[in-house]
Amino acid sequence: MSRKIERLINLTIALLATKRYLTKTEIFRSVEGYEGSAETKERMFERDKDDLRSLGIDIEVGSFDPLFHDEAGYRIKQEKYQLDLGEITPIEISLLSLAAEAWQGASLDEAAQRALVKLKSMGIPVDDLILPGAVHKLSDSGEDLALLTKAIAEHQRLSFTYVDAALKKQVRSIVPIGLSTRSGLWYITGVDQKIEEIRTFRIDRIDGEITTSKGPKDFETPAGFDPKRVFDSQGTNTFALVDVRKGKASALRALASTEHSLGEWDQLRIPILNVNSLASLVLWHGEDAFVQEPQDLRDLVIQHLEALVSNHG
Amino acid sequence: MAKRFSAPLERTARLLDLVPYINTHQGISIKELSGVFKVSSTQMVSDLTTLWMCGLPGYTPLELMDLDFESGFVTINNAPTLSKPRSISFDEGVALLLGLDLLRSSISSDRRDLIERIDSLSERLSTLIKLPSALSATAPVNEQISRAVLKSIKSQTGLQIVYHSLYRDEITTREIFPIEIIDNHSQQYLSAYCYTAQDFRQFKLDRVQSAQIINIEKTVPATSIDSKKIPFIVSVIKPTREIAERFNQPRLKPTTNFESASYSKQWIERSILASGSAVALQSPPEIRISVAEMAQSMLDRYKAG
Repeated sequence: MSRKIERLINLTIALLATKRYLTKTEIFRSVEGYEGSAETKERMFERDKDDLRSLGIDIEVGSFDPLFHDEAGYRIKQEKYQLDLGEITPIEISLLSLAAEAWQGASLDEAAQRALVKLKSMGIPVDDLILPGAVHKLSDSGEDLALLTKAIAEHQRLSFTYVDAALKKQVRSIVPIGLSTRSGLWYITGVDQKIEEIRTFRIDRIDGEITTSKGPKDFETPAGFDPKRVFDSQGTNTFALVDVRKGKASALRALASTEHSLGEWDQLRIPILNVNSLASLVLWHGEDAFVQEPQDLRDLVIQHLEALVSNHG
Repeated sequence: MAKRFSAPLERTARLLDLVPYINTHQGISIKELSGVFKVSSTQMVSDLTTLWMCGLPGYTPLELMDLDFESGFVTINNAPTLSKPRSISFDEGVALLLGLDLLRSSISSDRRDLIERIDSLSERLSTLIKLPSALSATAPVNEQISRAVLKSIKSQTGLQIVYHSLYRDEITTREIFPIEIIDNHSQQYLSAYCYTAQDFRQFKLDRVQSAQIINIEKTVPATSIDSKKIPFIVSVIKPTREIAERFNQPRLKPTTNFESASYSKQWIERSILASGSAVALQSPPEIRISVAEMAQSMLDRYKAG
């Protein structure tokens, strides 16, 4: 096993050091570790190339003289091999360390730590940055983040079964454009291929496997898409007026865009994103919350109350 | 999950990354180096031995890396081709980008300097891994609170918190003795002894509205005085995702019953009210009656106005 590793390292060094493309013949002659029949060496080399590429090392194929069909050659360009994030300051290294720490105990922990070792290899002194943000941790439970992010980068199509609000299972197919996490839950946003609109899905509501396939040709991320605004109420122009008792209903207050006092009660103006979940939240607060407007929300709440009375009578 | 390489490939990657690290940390002890790369010292010595055999074609002492680790401290020379760290992979970039965004959301807005640095790093990283503006992470807890909570756990002091209890719909000020932060279903809870309730409690971190270190010289009892759970039975009228998630009942069928239990009567009442026409509470009878009464009184108010 360690001979194979030596050979891979030697091959990397040789391909990095060369100024011109090295042919296979030259590689077999000069790089240590290629032994056996021509066919064996050939097979070894093909596998080694694949292995290095899977580690993210970019091996270029070219020839000395494009006018002649001579033997193909190989090399690794130093500028593609090495980390280039421009000038990095000590403060930036500290920030990146804190960013990596956020993964402690979660799925990308190892990847984050590997990246950090590379950054620390740049030999930049680290500034001790005392930031209280350390309590924030990214957590995940079985979401395949590698698959999802890869699909975003390559505009692949994702298909999955989604549990809708009526507990029905729907097959959805999207081209993903954003991945977000909030309070420990993960969301994937994409262009739904059936309705051709942007939709966001909570990943733990996906039932079973997510399958990837080739995405549509010439896909482009819709202009102006900002993953930070997936949860914003921007864009809604319908509002509810809900009266809440003083000192109560903090959960409704948190949603309100404005609030004004009516004496014993306060009136909240709440953007309506989903009329059913707002009705449910109003009901949760019992006699401390009362819908003034709009009529459809009022009707919905009344319908539920009538059912509650008759179902519990 | 991050892709796992086969053992030889993982080792190859580690050897490639060792060279630039030693290069900028000349004289590092084998023990410390093993810690950085998260392997045993024995494995590290074996890695270094393998690396010692590698170099440029020719493989005479002139072309081999000049690696010295016999003394227990590692130095390297003559390794110019591998001396720069390797570029980061896609997964590594994704991890850093999400971590940075989380960090950004937890830094107070008066640290413009840090936010600018984070934005600049994020931009460079997303260009590097070719994933422009697709990731976002938000910290649900504000920085003053997390600072106070962490500090009190570390220094074993008391904490005064203003807490929003969702079940009681009350904002209360409590004196607590924090024990630890626990992750439960991807939510963060602060486990603590609460002097106000005289019992152990778990506080959802994102519902702590403020936190302040206080000095208390009270002792924490070793075990919890477990209050009793109230068992309840619910019949399903219309299965919805909301009900399935609220009552943690993934397999809901119409016209069936499920049983569960809760520490809080209020939680049961509110959950049934919020579920509206989708469910009916079968037992306990006294909560069933109070739900009916509350619904009737709310309904009266709507009918009146």
